[in-house]
Amino acid sequence: MRSLRDVAVVGFAQDTAVKDRDRNEVEIISPVVREAVERSGLKRRDIGFTISGSCDYLAGGPFTFVSGLDAAGAWPPVKESHVEMDAAWALYEAWVAIQTGDVDSALIYGFGKPSLGDLHEIWTLQTDPYTVATLWPSMVDLAALQADVYLSSSGRSDRDLAEVAVRSLRNAQRNPYAVVSEDVSVDELLGRPVTHRPLRDTDIAPITDGAAAIVIAADDIAKRVCERPAWIRGIEHRVDPQHLGLRDLATAPSAAQAAERAGVNDGAIDVAEIHAQFSHEELILREALGLADGVDVNPSGGPLTSNPVMATGLVRIGEVAGRIMDGRAGRGVAHAAQGPCLQQNLVCVLEGSN
Amino acid sequence: MTRFVENSIVFPYKRSLGPVIGAFMTGLTEQRILGIRSGDQVIVPPLEWDPQTGAELDPDGMVEVGPAGTVESWTWVPAPSEQHPLGHPFAFAFIRLDGASTPLLHAVDTGAPDALRVGARVAPRWRGSRVGHIGDIIAFVPGEQPEVDGPDSGPAEAPVTMMDYNASITYRNPVPPVLDRLREASRDQRIIGQRCPVCERVYSGGRGYCPIDAVELGEEQDVDLPHTGTITNFTIVTPVQYPGQTETEPFARVFVLLDGTDVILPYQPVVELPVGEVRVGKRVAAAWAPPNDDIDDAGAMGGAYGHLIGWIPSGEPDVEDPDLVNRIF
Ligand SMILES: [Zn+2]
Repeated sequence: MRSLRDVAVVGFAQDTAVKDRDRNEVEIISPVVREAVERSGLKRRDIGFTISGSCDYLAGGPFTFVSGLDAAGAWPPVKESHVEMDAAWALYEAWVAIQTGDVDSALIYGFGKPSLGDLHEIWTLQTDPYTVATLWPSMVDLAALQADVYLSSSGRSDRDLAEVAVRSLRNAQRNPYAVVSEDVSVDELLGRPVTHRPLRDTDIAPITDGAAAIVIAADDIAKRVCERPAWIRGIEHRVDPQHLGLRDLATAPSAAQAAERAGVNDGAIDVAEIHAQFSHEELILREALGLADGVDVNPSGGPLTSNPVMATGLVRIGEVAGRIMDGRAGRGVAHAAQGPCLQQNLVCVLEGSN
Repeated sequence: MTRFVENSIVFPYKRSLGPVIGAFMTGLTEQRILGIRSGDQVIVPPLEWDPQTGAELDPDGMVEVGPAGTVESWTWVPAPSEQHPLGHPFAFAFIRLDGASTPLLHAVDTGAPDALRVGARVAPRWRGSRVGHIGDIIAFVPGEQPEVDGPDSGPAEAPVTMMDYNASITYRNPVPPVLDRLREASRDQRIIGQRCPVCERVYSGGRGYCPIDAVELGEEQDVDLPHTGTITNFTIVTPVQYPGQTETEPFARVFVLLDGTDVILPYQPVVELPVGEVRVGKRVAAAWAPPNDDIDDAGAMGGAYGHLIGWIPSGEPDVEDPDLVNRIF
């Protein structure tokens, strides 16, 4: 969508941990929201809109996002919304709300505590309920099938997958929010067992509890509170058919469409943060987004090293925005995905100069 | 040490199938796999709409495919979950059935992964007793010939229109320490709450933080709450007999404003108070289980907890206050 008002990311915070932590969702979210608001330079009560992204199936309770609202400070009453999606889609809704002129700033947060249940089985519930979900292919089973399709049609091998994993694990050593990191060679990694043919455990995102929050603001507000705002130059999302047999799983057509509409290649890209929960997904998405070879992909280590579900996509936007705000990058692209085998994709282009 | 409770949530879906999926499921009971024509494609499993244009597809354009097909891609499942279609290691595969334009996802039973490769020919192993469910095919097996497992009870007597789908997810939830303190106190017939050190609001029901000041509330903030109060709001629930529902008759859930406090206990059961006599302003007192009773409850979703089993009429006259009904938290 063409933007009517310039909107920028002005604050970002996140927190993650491996499974079985003691804190509940509200206790995980509260400090993250507080930190993102503090960094934004805006006062909580001056932020016009609050929206979250989460999934009730993760905690197994209805309306768990309502209790999550306790963490955002909803008294006196605030204008509020929620998406049962990764919070990157909540950011999209907030961006639209600012475009309409209803509000001038927004707080977006996402959270997930997948350690409570079996995430890979829970995601089965989003597949076709008649002929797919009833067979209970897990999220990893479906990803492994996609990896098999991709490797055989692209002529690549599990060495290519290992290279993605190795780079991610190395980058993660510099990311305090990564829950796994390692300095390992490709050959060493290839010596480890294939657990979900053709995938190894290092090709699969780790279970991660966590939350992330972002503050966005329009025009003059962004310039006033932030020395170098990360301007949203384009943001789009698209979806492919649910029926897995209807698309070539070696590609991500909806990601390519979203990237084109968001204007990814209207200029050079310094950094890309990609919501790839499996090594082969990064390779598919690089092609779909049309990224040049030199682009720094997932310098944070990416979802393969830290995957706070329902916030993972928002973290991608935050990681790119953070690099722009501190001057390490000029122009970058953030990507978020939902659904089995990269069914639904959001692409956000961010830039430092106004 | 955090204590965890394990609970399984069953989602007992009953799905109506419609003209296309219904015909597909009916076909399965007849050991036939049906696709649907969409342009020059045959889509399997069939869809009601053209995926490109959204145009309605003609249920009369359903055609039989297979029964054999070719494995296009696969992954091995070395440790099947309880809900997977087979109890022993198997493959999930995309299978292009003969005559189909799209692959079908299903299980392939080859015993070991080295017996499987892309391009392998497979055919269905049918369940002897079929109900119109994708699981009527137990799995695909190597070869061209379909098999039937056990005595064949034949096709469905009438077209299949509905499908049961009992999804189940198991959760391991940490129990907040405050809930354990509440339950312990209830054994001594005490109701405790927590007073926020910042705003002095008192919270009940085991909320471990003040949502207004975003501060955590620990044991130091515990306060004893009174045992009498007034109903400010209520609902009468007519139970629907879903799996796990133990109530059979209409029952009440009430909000109780405790005397001399700002504390509302939400979603409380009532004792010896017929649903027809539940009303705003009714005076009630805490009802307790005998101290030696073993109480088994998780205290989930508010409600009574531990030895506090609900609220009983105190016999006092009603409180006449039009603002009471607005007290919901
Ligand atoms: Zn307070």
